[in-house]
Amino acid sequence: MTVILHTLGALPDSAAFNDCMRLCRQSDALLLLGDGVYAACPNTQALYQLSALGIELYALTEDLAAAGIHCEGTTVQPVDMDGFVELTERYSRQMAWY
Amino acid sequence: MKYSILVMASPTAGQGSATAVSFARSLLARGHTLHNVFFQGDAVGNGLANAIFPQDERNLVGEWAALAEQHKIELILCISSALRRGVLDKVEAHRYERAASTLHPAFTIGGLGQLVDASANSDRLITFGH
Amino acid sequence: MTPQSVLFVLRHSPYGSDMAKSAIDAALAFAAFEQPLNLLFLGDGVLQLMPGQDGKVIGRKTIYKQLLSLPMYDVERIYVDRLAAQRHRIDLAAFPASVERVSEGEAHALMCDHRHVLGF
Repeated sequence: MTVILHTLGALPDSAAFNDCMRLCRQSDALLLLGDGVYAACPNTQALYQLSALGIELYALTEDLAAAGIHCEGTTVQPVDMDGFVELTERYSRQMAWY
Repeated sequence: MKYSILVMASPTAGQGSATAVSFARSLLARGHTLHNVFFQGDAVGNGLANAIFPQDERNLVGEWAALAEQHKIELILCISSALRRGVLDKVEAHRYERAASTLHPAFTIGGLGQLVDASANSDRLITFGH
Repeated sequence: MTPQSVLFVLRHSPYGSDMAKSAIDAALAFAAFEQPLNLLFLGDGVLQLMPGQDGKVIGRKTIYKQLLSLPMYDVERIYVDRLAAQRHRIDLAAFPASVERVSEGEAHALMCDHRHVLGF
């Protein structure tokens, strides 16, 4: 069952990041946006932590590009704004971490 | 589906406000409806009439205003957040004896009851933090 | 939970930003309009429940005092992150509403039980 779309807009190791990691469950999806996209940086502890959740991981393409992060080949899938809206169609509630 | 949006992010810090306005445009383009947009805390800066943006930066006030005009969307600033940040409509400017309104005409100042209304009447309530 | 109920997730310290104040203002508005709501204090948000606060000395409203008014708005129970309350050594004994300490799994289930989740 798909239930919660977590949107994470805070840096790795921030309180928001750590709380989000504690609360995510396998039925959920996680979208990184704003400062949250740094968790999609390849070969970082943050990305290992995210990947270990075993949930669908997404990151907003424009914020990835602004930050200079390339997440191709990782567990994080880039989505544009249309893809963000599509996620909110599929997941009936959002929890914003920031 | 019917959406409402709650913006908590300052227009000048982080990407929250910019993402919110782009998200609003995208959901409308996908055929959804937008019940209202409620701005609380530092997000009320999105409704400042006199904000000036450099030419190579996004003018969020203008983007919100264009969206509101094109799709008849209500843009509501939380009154207590707005007053303490000097965002005043004509009525409040008069009430508090200030020289002029500082609110962009595409926005209105309202109570939290309108967030309650958004919650009760929307399939999705999406929050944008800083 | 009714299908229209809202869960407020309070995650910020009481005076470090105006997030706590914004969340409580919004929650009281929902209560005043008789919309069902619940409050979950998560992570640093449990600091809002620290007894003995006095916002007046820094020219702010006292968050704890505002939370004390919740039972008057028929918010009879609050949910508190058990781990965070332990870590910050929050004494919840004096809080006037019934306090339910929840694990991460229970907090997640609580989110799933509500129509909308608002993270502050």
